[in-house]
Amino acid sequence: MSDAAILQRQAKVSTFRPLLWTGVAVGLVVLCVAPLGISAYWLRVLTTVLMYVIITQGLNVIVGITGYHAFGNGVFFGIGAYACGACMAAGLPFVVGVTGAIAVSAACALILGRPILRLRGHYFAIATVALNLAAVQIIIQIGGITGGAQGLALPLSTWEPKPLYVAIYYLMLAGAVVCTAIVALLLKLPLGFALRAIRDSERAAAVMGIDTTKAKVFAWAISAAMTGFAGGVWAYWITFIEPSSAFDPGVGVKAYIMLIIGGMGSVLGPVIGASAMEIVSTLVWGGFLKAHQLILGVLIVVICIVAPNGIIDAGARLARSWRSRHGAS
Amino acid sequence: MLAQATVNGILLGGLYGLATVGFSMVWGVMGVINLAHTSFIMLGAYVTYFLFEKLGMDPILSMPFAMAAMFVLGYGIQRFILNGVIRTSLLLSLVVTFGIDLILTDATSLAFTSDVRSVNASYASTSIALFGTLVPLVRLLAAGLSLVLGIAFFVFLRRAGLGQAILATALDREMSNLMGINPQKVFALTAGAGAALAGAAGSLSSMLFPVSPAMGVSFLGAVFVITVLGGIGSVEGCIVAGFLYGLVQAWAAYFLGTNFQEIVAFALFLGVLVIRPQGLFGRAFFGEHA
Repeated sequence: MSDAAILQRQAKVSTFRPLLWTGVAVGLVVLCVAPLGISAYWLRVLTTVLMYVIITQGLNVIVGITGYHAFGNGVFFGIGAYACGACMAAGLPFVVGVTGAIAVSAACALILGRPILRLRGHYFAIATVALNLAAVQIIIQIGGITGGAQGLALPLSTWEPKPLYVAIYYLMLAGAVVCTAIVALLLKLPLGFALRAIRDSERAAAVMGIDTTKAKVFAWAISAAMTGFAGGVWAYWITFIEPSSAFDPGVGVKAYIMLIIGGMGSVLGPVIGASAMEIVSTLVWGGFLKAHQLILGVLIVVICIVAPNGIIDAGARLARSWRSRHGAS
Repeated sequence: MLAQATVNGILLGGLYGLATVGFSMVWGVMGVINLAHTSFIMLGAYVTYFLFEKLGMDPILSMPFAMAAMFVLGYGIQRFILNGVIRTSLLLSLVVTFGIDLILTDATSLAFTSDVRSVNASYASTSIALFGTLVPLVRLLAAGLSLVLGIAFFVFLRRAGLGQAILATALDREMSNLMGINPQKVFALTAGAGAALAGAAGSLSSMLFPVSPAMGVSFLGAVFVITVLGGIGSVEGCIVAGFLYGLVQAWAAYFLGTNFQEIVAFALFLGVLVIRPQGLFGRAFFGEHA
């Protein structure tokens, strides 16, 4: 690339940046006032979208930035849900429940991370899936305060349903914003550089003096804390949790697909991926009650073939090829 | 009772081993974790069910048809979808096969409803007395045929030209390419063979288990555990690990109760992954570097 081309490209980036931030700001304002003017159904959909933004952002930390493909990261969603549920069933307030959800999820990642993050590639991916499936059985066996196989009913809030759902919406919104900010910050911190170095070559990162085990475990704990927060709030929102719904492997898998759609390792990718996927699958749910799994499957396959690096990348490449074809003449 | 549980567990383990061989080979040769593998098992069972129901064909005779149908399906999916995907990113194949699994399972329940069906051959309730235990004939047949197919595939890989091409690609893709082996073709062939073996396992399991669109998922845990236990890409490892898995499951149910079956399986899985990730018979196959 010639110097002129590089300058031109930089100029393009600098015009793109403010545009992007304006878009983000407008989006945030719209999301803040949205509960005033939408139906209960769409409030529910938007809350789910924001919940998946949090989970996908959590996955982004370990998969997108660190390069460890935690296919079963949904386990922390369940752990968070159960931590919050158990705290509240014991009579503690919701704030303690959510704090507990974050703390317990992060602690589990810290403890499990040491042995499991030694595995690489596929091995790590399936070990996390096994963790997810094993957690279901463990909760059933523990019984007691977790309610075992019968599930766990959380104490009902004294609030009216409408303001409660709006409050949960804002909580998820705040979580999504904070998680996105954490990812943005992480990319600027030394830890973020260390993690990306691990993603590109773990051995080289170790040679450069990075304590790779510590960095990886720490990244997984951050990821788990985010996912656990989403699980804790979700438990209070749904008010009844059972092992098969809280530890549904589909949660982790769906977030993974959202991450692919949005683009791995970017700050806004998970936001875009989660919104696009959740809204499209909501529409598909409504339109094709019987074949929605089939259409979802086709969607996944097509996206992976057409846009394996995310829709932003695919769009940019499309725009570039269009420009070079039409700009050349 | 313990002897009975042991025999039943080992016989079931043989079938699990066959259900896993294809999955393990596909993983070992091209590094793809094929989450749609269990839906091949399910579809194989459906082929047998319909041949039995409509034509009255014996489940064992219909097995080659199930294998042929699944070979075509597995070959086609690899050739036209997965070969393109794994060129971009290997881990993406995990997501794509998850999507394919959704498609196959949902299409099956749309086409044939989610009713639970069963294949009852005339000899379904026959049992043979052996060393003071009662061995159901269908289980014995399923385990025996699984063993035969597993050994046949092992011999095919070692002796036949195509089999050696598959092994060569698994061991060193670039070198085998230089020797004139086309990896794209080998991949499709491996996927086809893997799917055919899954179809055979489905065909046999239709005699033991109810046939429904959800039956594939029930194999998923076993398939993963046996693959890792036997060593990824190792046919002989798969067969031995299958029997071992069946035995461990039966004993866990006998000594601890059926609730603990899955916990023991997952403990085994995580234990092997952490302590001996290459499995019992594992070697440096391609999948391990990925």
